[in-house]
Amino acid sequence: VTVPFFPPDLFEADRQHLLDLVREVGLDPAQRFILGARTAEFERLLGQSLGGREVVACGSGTSALTLVLHAMGVAAGDEVVVPAFGCAPLAASVVNLGATPVFADIDPDTLTVAPDEVERAITPRTRVLMPAHIFSIMADVPRLRRIADEHGVRLLEDSAVAQGAVLDGVPAGCWGDAGVFSFVQVKSFGMPGEGGAVVTRDPALAARVRMLRNHGQDGRHRFLHHHIGYNSRFDELLAAFQIHRLPTLPQRLERRAAIAEAYTARFRGLPGVQPPPPGRNGRCHYVYSLLVERRDALRDHLAERGIGSHAYYPRPLPAQPAFAPFAAPDGRWPNAERACTRSLAIPIHPNLTDEQVHRVADAVVEFASANAPARSGRLAEPVPVPGG
Amino acid sequence: MATPVDALSPPANREIPFFSQARTFADIWPEVAAHVHDVADRGKFSHGHKVAEFEQALARYTGARHAVAVNSGTDALVLLLRAAGLRPGQRVVVPAFSFVASASSVVLAGGRVVFADVEPDGYGIDPAEVARVARAGDFVMPVHLFCRLADLDGVLEVARERRLTVVEDSAEAIGLRHRGVHAGLHGAGGVLSFFPSKTLGALGDAGAVLTDDPDIAETVAALRHHGRFGRTLAHFPGIANPTAVSGVNSKMDDLQAAVLLAKLTRLDTDIARRAELAAAYGERLRDVPGVLRLPATGPAERVFYVYLVEVDCRDALVAHLAAHGVGTETYYPIPLPRQPCFADLGHVPGDFPVAEAVCRRSLALPLYPDLSVGEVDRVCGLIRAFFTGSSS
Repeated sequence: VTVPFFPPDLFEADRQHLLDLVREVGLDPAQRFILGARTAEFERLLGQSLGGREVVACGSGTSALTLVLHAMGVAAGDEVVVPAFGCAPLAASVVNLGATPVFADIDPDTLTVAPDEVERAITPRTRVLMPAHIFSIMADVPRLRRIADEHGVRLLEDSAVAQGAVLDGVPAGCWGDAGVFSFVQVKSFGMPGEGGAVVTRDPALAARVRMLRNHGQDGRHRFLHHHIGYNSRFDELLAAFQIHRLPTLPQRLERRAAIAEAYTARFRGLPGVQPPPPGRNGRCHYVYSLLVERRDALRDHLAERGIGSHAYYPRPLPAQPAFAPFAAPDGRWPNAERACTRSLAIPIHPNLTDEQVHRVADAVVEFASANAPARSGRLAEPVPVPGG
Repeated sequence: MATPVDALSPPANREIPFFSQARTFADIWPEVAAHVHDVADRGKFSHGHKVAEFEQALARYTGARHAVAVNSGTDALVLLLRAAGLRPGQRVVVPAFSFVASASSVVLAGGRVVFADVEPDGYGIDPAEVARVARAGDFVMPVHLFCRLADLDGVLEVARERRLTVVEDSAEAIGLRHRGVHAGLHGAGGVLSFFPSKTLGALGDAGAVLTDDPDIAETVAALRHHGRFGRTLAHFPGIANPTAVSGVNSKMDDLQAAVLLAKLTRLDTDIARRAELAAAYGERLRDVPGVLRLPATGPAERVFYVYLVEVDCRDALVAHLAAHGVGTETYYPIPLPRQPCFADLGHVPGDFPVAEAVCRRSLALPLYPDLSVGEVDRVCGLIRAFFTGSSS
């Protein structure tokens, strides 16, 4: 593979620095490896970069969702409205608290949850709306914010993939009562390990999350456990690495955005291949996702040319065996089902060279031009979703 | 205006932290660096090749058929309970004296906590108390604390009689074997914590599940990766595998696996060193008035993760040692049934007399391979001075 989808060399420029940090932390006289001064500093700096939010670093983006839902009081008998299309934690974080995920279908073009569907899914048992930014596009959080306020429920923004994105001047993660970030290596602010963060302007919520991430302790009285909590903490080594890389995050985000713009400029108007909408407002560049009528054929076409791609989410969340028992029997998620057969992510990581970007774009254009005209006016048969 | 540091700690009164692995880390740095380079070369920094390598090394060391790496000992307990078939609301008998995770993991796994008192010597769950509170079909979780195993023969006998599922909280028990079988492998499975101060400690949070049961291992492996069965370890495309159970993200970092692999090669040497230091403490504290109980010594079935003593006037002694630059830990100041998070169970003082007494008297002294016998001397001299007013 000459253009890998998952880049193996994300931190190559910082390898020596990483080694130095491992040594520094290992030998540090403080001998404090978890939730220490570096983590506190990382939280402070990240909060500052978001215009003064509270940031609570924790074990992963998935765990961040769990901590917030738990801190919001979600429990057995409660409902949380989640997208029918997305990553497993959207449903699992709800199920694991004993609550019920209510699946709302997505918008066919943005692939993010459809606000009308969310509003229809609200019942007296609804406690939280949990939209997710997906791939390249932020959810319609302005409308979802209004819906949440009108119905008196809370808004938890799954912004795990969208760190650095901005919609109408407000950063991803800052639209909800809380947002979350994930720093797993492939994310926009990825790092060499697992970690995540909760972002909020609500100090009470932040305080509750802080306790829940470390066994229900208050940070002052060791081994006094106010609440049943989790072990979802942040390692000092990774905090040090993130502090080092925070100043260069804008450059990497800019590189991703520039690659996305280059792709979108080449792909607009291509038959059978739909790129994300142009522009930067509300765009995120975790992965660059196309909607393709003959998705698997494009994947093969790229693979033959040494270009990696990835089809996320082969089936809607309510069609996953773990979550099917929670899906309304008469529930329909046609747009989620179509997304599962059409969406394909192509490489966008910041280490790509211009030459690689052009090669990927050429291959997609070649595919569309060679295949689609012969089939114009006729859509490919939808591929049935296994078990769907 | 800060006080000059020298005025507070003249060289003779150099601080003795409760825990440090800095000297050990300096020794093993070349191996750690080689493993870190290997991780960087392969380019996957969690749930990757180094984690797979560590799982294999851990299985070899413990003799477990399956070692499944996760993000913490707490997560290991939660996932093990779920994988061992704990049903919502099912009862789990746990000791009244332990770290909170022994009980909170039950709640997080959807079960119901039933506390049982511990034995005064060794602090393991008391089999007679298990027999008193357990109902047929419950789970029971013996916890191996500090330096020795709980009474496994006793617990296993009750478990057979009552058809209890045994899950071991062996988070502290690496290196401990009973009848030749490593801790964690006497029931459905067990766990290990690699919290940095553990006998085998990482540079951050990490843990593992140990089991001989392939189905439990497979389910834990799926639960740690969002409920995805099939190959995910060291395999990015596994993220497209179907989600068959509602899982979590509890993946181990490869950088932690790198440190753990380097430390694992010298684990037996470290354990021997810990035993020497424990023996040194024993000799020096044996006849000190006010020291009420020392850990039982002897070569068999002891791995000194923690050197825990019971003392009079515990909190005053902690302050005395701290004032002289000696770090300690109070494992554990409050019996689990009296923690605010278990207030809904309605326990009152007197319900768990052994646990309550231990919580008033227990004190963990510095014990780690970096420590010198001279430092043990100094700690013991301070304790003697506290109780007798003289340091000789």
